Order: sequence, then structure tokens, then C-alpha cells
Amino acid sequence: MPSPLQIDGITRRTLLAGTGAVGALALTGDGSRAQAVSKITVTSYGGIWERAVRECFVSDFKKRMNIDAEVLIGGPPQWMSQIEANKDKPPIHVLVATPDSASVAFKSGIVEPITKEKVPNLVDIPQRFIDISYGHGAAFDYGAAGIAYNKDRIKDPPKSIKELVERTIKGEWRAGFPTIAFAPGAQAFIWSFADALGGGVDNLDPFFDAVKKMRKNVVFWTGVTDFLNLMDSGEVDIGIYYDGRTWAHYDTGKNYIGFINPAEGAIMSPVCVMKVKNAPDIAWEYINSMLAPEPQAKFAKIMNFGVTNSKVQYDAVVKERITPWDKTRWPPNEKIGELLPKWTERWNKEIGA
Amino acid sequence: MRGRRYTTVSGWLLAPAALFLIVFFVIPLIANMDKSIALSSIMGPGREQTPYTKLFTDPFYLSVIAQTVVLSVGVSVLCLLTGYPVAFYLVRHAGRWSGIVIFMLIAPLLTSIIMRTFGWRVLFARRGLFNEALLNLGWIERPVEFLNGPVPAVVGLVHVLVPFMVLSIAAVLRNIDPRLEESARLLGASRWKTFAKVTLPLSLDGIGSGSIIVFLLANGSFVTLLLLGGGYLQTLPLLIYQQFNTTQDFAFAAAMSNVLLAVAVICLYSQLRILRRRGVRSL
Repeated sequence: MPSPLQIDGITRRTLLAGTGAVGALALTGDGSRAQAVSKITVTSYGGIWERAVRECFVSDFKKRMNIDAEVLIGGPPQWMSQIEANKDKPPIHVLVATPDSASVAFKSGIVEPITKEKVPNLVDIPQRFIDISYGHGAAFDYGAAGIAYNKDRIKDPPKSIKELVERTIKGEWRAGFPTIAFAPGAQAFIWSFADALGGGVDNLDPFFDAVKKMRKNVVFWTGVTDFLNLMDSGEVDIGIYYDGRTWAHYDTGKNYIGFINPAEGAIMSPVCVMKVKNAPDIAWEYINSMLAPEPQAKFAKIMNFGVTNSKVQYDAVVKERITPWDKTRWPPNEKIGELLPKWTERWNKEIGA
Repeated sequence: MRGRRYTTVSGWLLAPAALFLIVFFVIPLIANMDKSIALSSIMGPGREQTPYTKLFTDPFYLSVIAQTVVLSVGVSVLCLLTGYPVAFYLVRHAGRWSGIVIFMLIAPLLTSIIMRTFGWRVLFARRGLFNEALLNLGWIERPVEFLNGPVPAVVGLVHVLVPFMVLSIAAVLRNIDPRLEESARLLGASRWKTFAKVTLPLSLDGIGSGSIIVFLLANGSFVTLLLLGGGYLQTLPLLIYQQFNTTQDFAFAAAMSNVLLAVAVICLYSQLRILRRRGVRSL
């Protein structure tokens, strides 16, 4: 028997939901924008990172806000190009970015300032991780880029970047390093090697000299998961890679892979999260999920990466594996962001695209 | 009267395609041209020259333009040399097997170009099938570097593009009356002379259209070079991708894409001129 409140297919439940929605729109005072938000678009790197983002942050956001978050896979430069192309109605609402990309995003005005009022969990994030995003976001996790190697083939692994370079030149193994097209490679490879070999951000000569000498024993990779494919297929034996991803690969049964923090110090590689300008305000809630202690602890357990909320209680195994953030080398990210076009041109001319 | 109405109707049938081209090709092209010129004037710490000046005065970028053209021409020639015998066999000798040959030609096109390119990586990797076979046969002592260089990139491109050449040539060869070749043979011409004086000139239409398709596809190819080139081959599409995704210098990327288009149009025009001079009329 139909309900007495049912009129031409409209039930009491839909009527109440509709009334509630109208009330909410009236309260926000921005009917057009609120009405449009049935889901937001967030960003993630590929591979296991994507799975962790979905399981930890997207699920927490959906549970709290009852709104879906579509995950777009790729890298910061590509996402920023998409935002730049449509600033008024950006196709991406939450940007994750390496510090140099965060610098470019901040300077080009495509992201909004973050505050504790908008993102309550920001109070538990160390200031250095907010500063690295220029007050327009915060780092939510970090990897430490060190040396990953094949334990079956290399019984006496190098202890430092310098030793890695010298023995690669000698042809003791085949190494896999990121190309300049891999955004975090500018810090984890170019600056790190220049710094370790006596150069620096303003002097890349030691880096380019070393790469030219190593060239015939090196395979360059472009995407973050490429390195693991090259290791699995036996194409390379050693390379620069991130602690968390190496351990995550180890946990999938690839017991051959090992990780070393080089003597010079592993490179701090944080990932910042930023709200895109003109994105709906609900995007702040997604960022709040990314900075919350519980989702971060879960993310750390899956990824074996360090996270930034000071209230996070790490799983015992993860705690053993991660590098404390105050024991890493912090690259001059802003300067690297500025110099990247020149570095790219030099790379093209001396190494290859 | 009736003819005019037919022409008008035919004209309207072209309208959707013309509209599509205007919206998705002509307008973006003009916008890209405008962007490359408008943004080029902005100079700063990261840019001391306009993109066009840099492209046409810096020896490195001139060599990239040259490499792009040489690679496209080279791949077209290799596709012709490998594709023509296949097309000839398909039309003249395959008989009832022709369906299978065509299927084998088209089947690779049904899979993603990335999968096909990765296939080469699997075959030629240091621990790949080819190296393992050579090691097991005792022909080599340690794995040989087959990947990451100009040769694997060209091999990969030829593999991807040769079906276009074969199908273009086969379509024309099929229309050549075999009695013309038989007549030449009856008049005393050798097999080679018959081919050189009869078959080849009559199949220039197919060679022309196949070469143009392969050239244009090779000119804009990107994935194969990225995955198999190992940075040893530098072409305009690779640098355009890099400008968008690494340095975000949109003006330089736009300028390079305009130059790439101009290069393609100039080469296409030159090819057409050469082919028309040789009597190819259907192009």
C-alpha cells in the first residue's frame, strides 16, 4: 500500500532529503557552487601510492563528508598544466606536489593559503612542513631517497653516493637513475649527486661530469614505478630510490631488494598537499583527512613512508624502517624550482632527453 | 539543375567533418600560434631569447629538428623496404592465405602501442628472451645491450608503422592487371626488369600514400622513442612533452609544436612534388 505522503513517486524520504538540501544551500549562500559538488577531484602518484591514497584518505573523506573523491593519477607538472589551462573552473581540486612544484604552484597563484581554521589538523604539523609549502599547503608524508640495490647480485653494496658513482663508472653493476622528466629527480638525483660530489645548486659540473662517465652503465627511468620494473627484470642492479617504496616492494615478496641510507644523508622528499584556487571549499576537508593522525598512520603502514602529524603512532615495523625527518638532507627546493628550466636545457644538451 | 542539387547535398554531407576540423584543429592551431607569439615576448631570468630565436639559432635545437626529419625519412624508407615485399607477396602469391596475412598485419594494431613497445623491452632486456637464448647457446659471455639507443627505437617504430605501408601498397598492387606483367615477360623482360619497368611504376600511388602516412606518424611519434630510445634520440615531440611536463614553458612548447607542424607540411609538400613529377596522380 502506498504511503500517504507519496505523491507521484515522491516518498517522504526524498522529500526530507530535498528540503534538507535546499536548507543547506540557503545557509551556504552559494547555491550554484554547492549544488555542483557531488564529488571532488584529487591527485595521486601511481602504483602502491594510489592504493594507499584511496584506502587511507579518500575513504576517510567519504566516510566523514559522504562525498566521493575521484583520484587522478599522474605527476605535479601535468596536473599544474591542467589547472593553468582552466584556472576559473579547475578540473583538479586538491594538488599533491613535490616542494619545487609547490613553489611553482604558489608563485603562479593557482593554490590558496592554508589556515588552522580551514584545516584543524594543521595544529599538529611541524612548522617546517608548512613552510615548505609556502603557507599554501602542508607536507603530509615524506620519503627519504637513498640507495636501493639487489642483494643477490651485490654482496658488498656502496655506503655513500660517492662510492656508488665511482663503482658505477668502473662497471661493477648497471644503475638506474631518474631522468629530468621525473619531477622529484631534480632533488633526489641531480642536486643530491652534485652536493655529494663537491658541487651544489649553483654548480652542477660535478654531477654532469659523473653522469657522462657513468652513462654506459646507466639506464634512465621516467615514472616512479619504472625503477622497480627495471630491478625485477634484471635490467638494473642498483639505483636511487625511496625508502618507503623499496620496503613496500620488499613486502610483496621481493626479498632480493635492499635499502641503504647513504653516508651523505638520504634526501628529504616530502609531498605537499594544496587546495587549488577556485576549487570548492569541501576540498579543505579532504586535506584535513590527509593531515589527520589515523589516516596518516595507516598510510605510513602501507607505504613505509614517514608522515608529518606529530600525534601519529607508527607501527613497530614501520618505525624501524623510516628515516627520522630531522636526519635527512633538505634540498634548496625553491632555488631548484627556479633553476629547473636551465637544468633541463643542460640535461638535454649533455645527457639526452 | 539536378547536378547542382547533387553538389549542394554532397557539400552539406561534408559539413560535420568540416565543423569538427574547424573546432578541434583549426581554432586550437590558431590559438597555439597566438600563444607561442604572445608568451614569447615575456623575457625574464629563465629566458634570455624568444623561443623562435632559440629554435633557429641554437645548434642543439637545429640538430633536434634535423634528427626529427632524418628519423621520419629513415623510418619511411625502412618501412618501404620491409613492407613492399610483404605487400607484393600478399597480392601476388598469398592466394587463399591472404586473409591470414592481412589478419597478421592488422592484429598488432588492435593492441596498445605501449604494450607492443614494452614487448620489445621484454625481448631485448639484459635478462630478456634474446639475451638468455644467446647466453644459453654460448654465443655471448655476458648480456649485450640491445635496448636504449637509436637502433631499438627505429626497430620499434618500423614495427609499429609498417602495416600502414603494406596496406597502402597492397591496395594499389591489387588493382594492377597481372596481364601487364605477363606481357612484359612474354616480350622477353626478366623478372627484375618486369618489376622495375612495370610493377614498381604502377604501384607508385601506394608507395606515395604509404610513405606520407608513415612519415607523418613517425614525425609525431613519442611513446616508442621515450620507451626504447634511452635518451639517445632527441626529437621535437620528446622536447615538447618535456616543456609541458617538466619546465612548464608553454611558449617554447607551442613554438616547437608550430615548427614541427611546419616541418611536416614542408616535407609533405616536397614528397608530393617528387611523386607527381614521377607520374603519381591520385595524391
